Amino acid sequence: MAGSDPQKLMTKADKLTQLSLTRWSADWKNASVLYEQAANGFRVAKNYDKAKLAFEKASKGQEMLSSPWDAAKHMEAAAALAKELGNWSEVADFYRKASELYNECGRSQPASDALAKAARALEDAVPEDAVQLYIDACEILEEDGKEQMAFDLYRAATNVYIKLEKYTDAAAFLLRLGLAADKCNATNSQCKAYLGAIIVYLYAHDIKQAEKCYNDCSQIDAFLRSDQNRCASKLLSAYMEGDIEEIKRLSQSSTISNLDHMIIRIARKLPTGDISGLKMDAGKEDEPLDENDLT
Amino acid sequence: MSVIDILTRVDSICKKYDKYDIEKQKGGNVSGDDAFARLYGVVEADIEASLGKAEAAAKEKNKASAVALNAEIRRTKARLLEEVPKLQRLAMKKVKGLSPEEFAARNDLVLALPDRIQAIPDGTATAPKQTSWTTSASRTEIKFDSGVEPIQARDQGLDMISEGLDTLKNMAHDMNEEMDRQVPLMDEIDSKVDRAAADLKNTNVRLKDTVNQLRSSRNFCIDIVLLCIILGIAAYLYK
Repeated sequence: MAGSDPQKLMTKADKLTQLSLTRWSADWKNASVLYEQAANGFRVAKNYDKAKLAFEKASKGQEMLSSPWDAAKHMEAAAALAKELGNWSEVADFYRKASELYNECGRSQPASDALAKAARALEDAVPEDAVQLYIDACEILEEDGKEQMAFDLYRAATNVYIKLEKYTDAAAFLLRLGLAADKCNATNSQCKAYLGAIIVYLYAHDIKQAEKCYNDCSQIDAFLRSDQNRCASKLLSAYMEGDIEEIKRLSQSSTISNLDHMIIRIARKLPTGDISGLKMDAGKEDEPLDENDLT
Repeated sequence: MSVIDILTRVDSICKKYDKYDIEKQKGGNVSGDDAFARLYGVVEADIEASLGKAEAAAKEKNKASAVALNAEIRRTKARLLEEVPKLQRLAMKKVKGLSPEEFAARNDLVLALPDRIQAIPDGTATAPKQTSWTTSASRTEIKFDSGVEPIQARDQGLDMISEGLDTLKNMAHDMNEEMDRQVPLMDEIDSKVDRAAADLKNTNVRLKDTVNQLRSSRNFCIDIVLLCIILGIAAYLYK
């Protein structure tokens, strides 16, 4: 049976599932087996289109047999083939379906893995969808209390945001990563996330936001005591003084070189824009204070 | 490295390997057989390279790299000074096809070399003014040199150690977090494997019971008898 033509297997399986006068209930058990074999045969023959179809049907069969785990596995295989074909909407759909089926089994890790695979496949083609998938994957893990696993997903989502140049979103995500890290007492990741967020704000030339972010993060003990805090404060004071050399020197330092590679890249490009303007603003701010002091 | 540095270095490298350029040698004035000319060419190239490095060191903002460059320059200078006596000996040798004026010129060139080598700036506070006439001055200069250098070298070493430690610290922290992540997974694996082991044990016991049952003699005899009957019938049919 294994060696026979996958097309024949497909037609046979189809016949088993089609309801007619002679057949009053579909024989999903045998049909699923045949669909799976046909799909493997098509895959070996590199006939991705038919293989994808066969996997879809096999998955449906397994669902009918109330075995969501196998159904999900078949869905994932179908999605992988859809990726080969470059059919991005189908990729997203299939992986989402697979993730739901995994959730039905009560297994959150594979569910989020399925969404993460989808996001990785769509990163280049449809980055907005990819980001949404990453967010959903993170939520699944957080609901289940497995934040530690979510770190990589947060980092990947941040990278996609940075590529899309959506810096506020990227920084917000890094802060979410910090929050997740806080829940698991992963202080190193937390501090790196906060430093990353500050750098992203500085790269977007949003100095006020960066300062606010820094002040917020300084409320957190773990960050306050860390190297990353020192680096962040030095960076912000260099920005205040408009000292470009200092900024460049800090971005070469080892603290920043231990961060995520996308963040290192944007840190090396600091400072963006004109910092001499900042120096003037800082000077102007001082003047009214001085007047108040004198009077 | 700036573009100018790259250009200078490429020039010096080309000059150094010109001796392998056959076309140039055939048409050029550097003869392939003349050992003196070759060695002199090499020394010249080294001097040029060191001058380039000295300029780079002067422009360098990072103290550690400036110190490293200066140390390299000093090493090159020492090496070149060792080559000078060799050159002098070669200059003395008579080479065919060489005019007497060129011969004399060679000698002068060799004599001028030590001055040129010493003149290469290597970042020491007091550059030697005239090393040819006061060896004692150069000796005190050297003493001052050895006073400044170890501290800078030590700073440089400490910087490198600090960088390495930073990397190690980061790696250790990451490893710590990874371990924390693995602990609940290992617990899950542990419980699952325990369950699977218990199931297997159970299954084995049941299998043993079943096989024992099957092995009971009555069933076995009946099986053998039936088998014989079937073989008999088959033999009869095929006869």
